[in-house]
Amino acid sequence: MVEYSKIEFLAACASSHVRDGENVFGGTGLPLLAALLAKETHARNINLISEAGFIDARPREVPLSVADTRYYLGCSASIGLIETLGFILQAGHVDVGFLGAAQIDEYGNLNTTYIGPYESPKVRLPGSGGGNDIASSAKRLIIIMTHDKRKFVKQLDHFTSPGHLEGPGSREKWSMVGGGPEVVITDMCQMDFDPKTLKIRLMSVHPGYTVQDVLDNVMFDLIIPDDVPTTDEPTQEQIDVMHRLDSHGVYLGKGGS
Amino acid sequence: MVPDGSGLFWGGFGFQRPPIAFASELIRQKKRNLTIYTCGSEVDLEILVGAGVVPRLEIAFVAIEALGLANNMRRRVAEGKVEIEDYSNLAMAMRFLGGALNVPFMPLRSLMGTDMVAKSRYRGDKKLKVIDCPFTGEKICLVPSIQPDFSIIHAQRVDMSGNAQIDGIVGEDLEGSRCGKKLIVLAEELVDEEEIRIAPEQTKIPAMYVDHVVLVPFAAHPMMCHGYYDYDLEFLQMFHKITRKEETWQEYLDTYILGVENHDAYLDKIGWSRLNKLKAIKPRGY
Repeated sequence: MVEYSKIEFLAACASSHVRDGENVFGGTGLPLLAALLAKETHARNINLISEAGFIDARPREVPLSVADTRYYLGCSASIGLIETLGFILQAGHVDVGFLGAAQIDEYGNLNTTYIGPYESPKVRLPGSGGGNDIASSAKRLIIIMTHDKRKFVKQLDHFTSPGHLEGPGSREKWSMVGGGPEVVITDMCQMDFDPKTLKIRLMSVHPGYTVQDVLDNVMFDLIIPDDVPTTDEPTQEQIDVMHRLDSHGVYLGKGGS
Repeated sequence: MVPDGSGLFWGGFGFQRPPIAFASELIRQKKRNLTIYTCGSEVDLEILVGAGVVPRLEIAFVAIEALGLANNMRRRVAEGKVEIEDYSNLAMAMRFLGGALNVPFMPLRSLMGTDMVAKSRYRGDKKLKVIDCPFTGEKICLVPSIQPDFSIIHAQRVDMSGNAQIDGIVGEDLEGSRCGKKLIVLAEELVDEEEIRIAPEQTKIPAMYVDHVVLVPFAAHPMMCHGYYDYDLEFLQMFHKITRKEETWQEYLDTYILGVENHDAYLDKIGWSRLNKLKAIKPRGY
């Protein structure tokens, strides 16, 4: 039996949603580790793009920044931010984007900017960065979060990046280039979106958790299908590759969101 | 040279080439009421807002990325001392491009449907507009161009006439360097004109745009400069830790910024044996 931590499970699960040959925005932190894991295992031909302006990156270890030379090393072109977020992303050439968030609502809309009221914020979070651009224009979004009831909210404190906004027709109303979130992956479960309502739906529960555990840890009405399978466990190869990529334990050691 | 109340485009991206030495000097000269325009910056913004130099920012991102939240920024925002107009990275880059092109606004397909449109601070209804495209009828977001008083850029090398070469990761520095009314380039190294002319494709900023050049080795410490030096992870972790509390941040400010006469004295304080260990190994660049 393979031994794994919650974070390793989360990263392995997220990486399985990347398909070989895709153009991928990996972001930073845990999302990037998941994208890199995909590239090192089942999706060797993905084109990893950084908003800092470089293309087809082949980092040998997880970088600390989207503009870390460790990320850039071995890339095939380095042009600039408008190249990657504009000519590539906004023009519709990005297949999948990875994002994390501090809060998510039932339509997959994300908050990465403020906790507390806008007028007097309690906590200033990083902000959009390229997140809003990626959420608006990537064909599919993979959202990665550590599971905490306070993060799965009925009402976001601040609406930074678009999921399915108010449901069917919303993305079309704003002429959005991309298709919006496809899956939300936590250390407890996988969720997708009900095609009719575009609301979050439970997809599978990770080993050791029950449907009730998930229900107890979301603050909106999660759609539960009749059949909820158990998520596949990571393989030893996936665990080994992750530890090679993050040999200092920057992400695997202390978690992340 | 930078009067109180000025607006500055701030170069560098993430851990790469942030003009931290320039930020420290603004603090030492007790500058006030500056506005910063950038996609995202990290240690430099932390020290500028921590020291009370910058009350207003128009940015997309602030954090020390993998290390965690920007603690000084978090505290100053909670205290109501700093206001941030939030945009996305592409929106800010388009605002710099618009400024560089000398047109009043630029269109983009991001931001729409979110609080980035619904909410604004001091810019009020001048933050952005969502309109129906006059040609296609589609919704489109217009962001105001920026032509700040200064653009501050950190480049790897310059020649005597000011041609500046940037290696590695560029971010939004092409647009940003051209949008300001005056351009100040910080460079790690002064090289002969011939060295520039044998690799003109690396000249990201031709001399004709450049008003002032300052030679500043290790201008980005504790962050990185591609091909020259790596980030100082131990120092960076210490910095992130001390910014968690106002008291320890004030000690840092007194020791590493106000307590040194200039950047050279700062480097001496950090210590050359430590700095030399950060020097990049060619060809990998860090």
